[in-house]
Amino acid sequence: MDRKHIDYFISVLGKDNVLVTEEERICYSYDGTFNRGLPDVVLMPEKTEEVAKIMKYANEIKVPVFPRGAGTGLSGGSVPQDGGIALVLSRMNQIKEISREDLLVVAGPGVVTGKLHKAVEEEGLFYPPDPASSAVCTIGGNIAENAGGPRAFKYGVTRDYVLGLEVVTPTGDIMRTGGKTVKNVTGYDLTRLLTGSEGTLGVVTEVILRLVPKPQTKSTALIAFDKLVDAARAIGSIVANGIIPVTIELMDDTTIHCVEANNKIGLPLDVEAVLLIEVDGKAEQVKSDIEDIAEICRKEGASSVEVATDKAGMDRLWKGRRAVSASVLQLGPTKISEDATIPRSQIPAMVVKLKEIAKKYDIPMPIYGHAGDGNMHPNIVADKDNPEEMARVKKATDEIFEAALALGGTLSGEHGIGLMKKDYMEMAYGKVGVDYLKAIKKAVDPNNILNPGKVF
Amino acid sequence: MEKKEILTSELQKEFNKCSRCGTCMAHCPLYEATGMEAFVCRGKLELLTKIEKGEIAWTDKLAEIFSTCLLCGGCHYGCPNGVSGEKIIQLARKNMVETRGLGPIKKGVFQHLLNNNGTLNKAGKLMYLSSKFKVRPLMRSLGILKLFPKNLYDLEKMVPAFPKKNFRQLMADKLPQKELSNPRYTVAYFTGCVTQLMNPQVGVAIVDLLTANNVKIILPEQGCCGMPALANGDYKNGLDLVRKNVESFQKEKVDYIITDCASCLGAWEEYPEYLQDESVKELTDKVMDINRFLIEVLDVHFEPQLADGEKPIKVTYHDPCHLKRTPGGKTCPRELLKRLAPKYEFVEMKFADSCCGSAGSFMITHYDVANKIGEKKYKAARESGANIVTSACPTCIMHLADGLQEDKNIEVKHVVELAASCLPKEQQTKIK
Repeated sequence: MDRKHIDYFISVLGKDNVLVTEEERICYSYDGTFNRGLPDVVLMPEKTEEVAKIMKYANEIKVPVFPRGAGTGLSGGSVPQDGGIALVLSRMNQIKEISREDLLVVAGPGVVTGKLHKAVEEEGLFYPPDPASSAVCTIGGNIAENAGGPRAFKYGVTRDYVLGLEVVTPTGDIMRTGGKTVKNVTGYDLTRLLTGSEGTLGVVTEVILRLVPKPQTKSTALIAFDKLVDAARAIGSIVANGIIPVTIELMDDTTIHCVEANNKIGLPLDVEAVLLIEVDGKAEQVKSDIEDIAEICRKEGASSVEVATDKAGMDRLWKGRRAVSASVLQLGPTKISEDATIPRSQIPAMVVKLKEIAKKYDIPMPIYGHAGDGNMHPNIVADKDNPEEMARVKKATDEIFEAALALGGTLSGEHGIGLMKKDYMEMAYGKVGVDYLKAIKKAVDPNNILNPGKVF
Repeated sequence: MEKKEILTSELQKEFNKCSRCGTCMAHCPLYEATGMEAFVCRGKLELLTKIEKGEIAWTDKLAEIFSTCLLCGGCHYGCPNGVSGEKIIQLARKNMVETRGLGPIKKGVFQHLLNNNGTLNKAGKLMYLSSKFKVRPLMRSLGILKLFPKNLYDLEKMVPAFPKKNFRQLMADKLPQKELSNPRYTVAYFTGCVTQLMNPQVGVAIVDLLTANNVKIILPEQGCCGMPALANGDYKNGLDLVRKNVESFQKEKVDYIITDCASCLGAWEEYPEYLQDESVKELTDKVMDINRFLIEVLDVHFEPQLADGEKPIKVTYHDPCHLKRTPGGKTCPRELLKRLAPKYEFVEMKFADSCCGSAGSFMITHYDVANKIGEKKYKAARESGANIVTSACPTCIMHLADGLQEDKNIEVKHVVELAASCLPKEQQTKIK
């Protein structure tokens, strides 16, 4: 990048917040996928005004800007394309206000989600969205991707908690959307439009999030099923009986065998699936819910049910689920985590279809994830350096998306489109829909500066 | 540029499992202090991929990035895929040293000072003189200052008073007096550089504790454990030290080898791997941290009494990274402290098991960052209300003492110093 541009950025941000060496830039060229893109410069602003100045200048010199939180995304959403500016927002990490009366928190986009959880829980409050990376990912990134997580089944996703935003527009102006009220119909709902816009419509510089009271207690059950389809059906039955657990996590037989090979936890090896179900709320409600769930699952063909109510017991039951991600890597070095999502009623059909696809293309595909909300996470395990295998992976992925759409589902439940699924956008959205998205993008970002090449 | 083979095949397999998920960022003290991704494991592994492929070369910048790691292992134990970041980074440093050399400062320290106890003692003596007479000009003329990087001033602050006599000199005429007629065990004491040169009272405390418990102690010929050289990628000098220590200790017939330094312990545990010689395990299996030896093997007990009106002294404990994950590494030091009641009252401090930032020579080469990491620790130590902060690693102790030097009501000591102070008066050696 031209020295005079670098000098300008240094004049705005100070020397320490402008990274120019190739070695440092490489460290901002990736996310949690195998996508790569080397930025020309890395900028680490600390204030909204600095972000605005950067955006204005980028429009002047026509250089693209790629916003980035912690870089843990799973769709390539923050990865730079053809150089440009990596705009790292992790230094805007202040929690500015926690209000027990208004049940809200005001925070900078760089606040780590797990730290926000801890801070509000110390006040007896609760912020439910809990993406798997919450120990490192940032609130700003969660808003850009509209992140979910296991607790989404009961509590919903990030979008359901965003009350208001401060945003720097793609042309470098500062704007506020929404506010501190739950009810707000003043103008278009830009808060919702920006949440999940994958950093293409604005740079979030402050967020106001809705909170709920912290649940009193919780309880966990580990339930084994001889038949995977029975497990899938049990999920529907639980909901149909009026119980909404916090999470329903599913692990299929491939996953169970991987976990046991690595960890010897004692999961049953002769079953096709286990469900890990957690309920929360007041003590009596939790007790009766978990008993009802056990009963329903037995009726649906569960071969064993184990319940834990104390922390040690729950940790033991969760241990297997937590070990999944590492354990499946024994099948191959590269894990591609898909998150095609389908209506809950279609889970049994989807599971059958996924097994067929895995067999057809001879690809290890452990199935696990947030089955409760239809967000299945079939994980393709392969070797990214094996082109022949990666060609089969591509075909399998195509079929997974087709199957999900045919069952009334969608391409992505929580990871976003980014780079990885944009080729499927028209298939999912239709030409009219994609044109509509493009029209919005063009209206607010006429120079196509902000995160170009993503989503569509 | 050509491709490079840097890792062992086993580590390469682990390395390939890194998916750049970023979980290491939640476990890296350096990332917490700096927010810079080049300093966290994920960033370094991405760079290493490019070094392996021959896409980038070892530049000064790259060397600086790879030198900025505490090798605390936090990333490894937090990694969902179990990638040993600290081992991979250490081997990357080895490749860096092989490719571009070590630099004159570290070379001097590793080759001449650490490799030979005699020379190291000489350096210690000079440092003592320097601290006593403020003869920095003299040291400069002797070339000693050049052995240390620019922060010598801070180093001097950190080790304000080099003692006149080092541990071996202090013990020279005392150890034979402590011959026991029918000892329960015979142990070899690997003293470590800091106890030998800077904190001899720690070694004296250990001699007193073991003698009081009818354990014979011998001090075999020994050099530095090798960790400072190995950690900095200097395998040539590091392995030399490792070999010499192994040869020397193999000559002795002992039940255990004890150490008061978590880093020495960590190094010794890796000796078979460094030498790629399984037979060395027979020797290294005998190595044990002194706290664990006192609790699990000797099951020591004390009867310290409070005088009328005397109040218990509040004491807290900091977990050294290289001790906390070993068997009994977290429990034994705490148990030992609890057995010193009522003279001492153990209180847990916040963030007790997070890295203090010292990481051996890191606190000297990267003084400012090390201090930034330490700040969280210093604050937690103050808030614990303790009058004494203890630990079981001499470098952690130095670093914490430096960070807490303004706090006149807080002392930083090794756990065994407190334990020895609870022995009956006649069993305590007085150091002049």
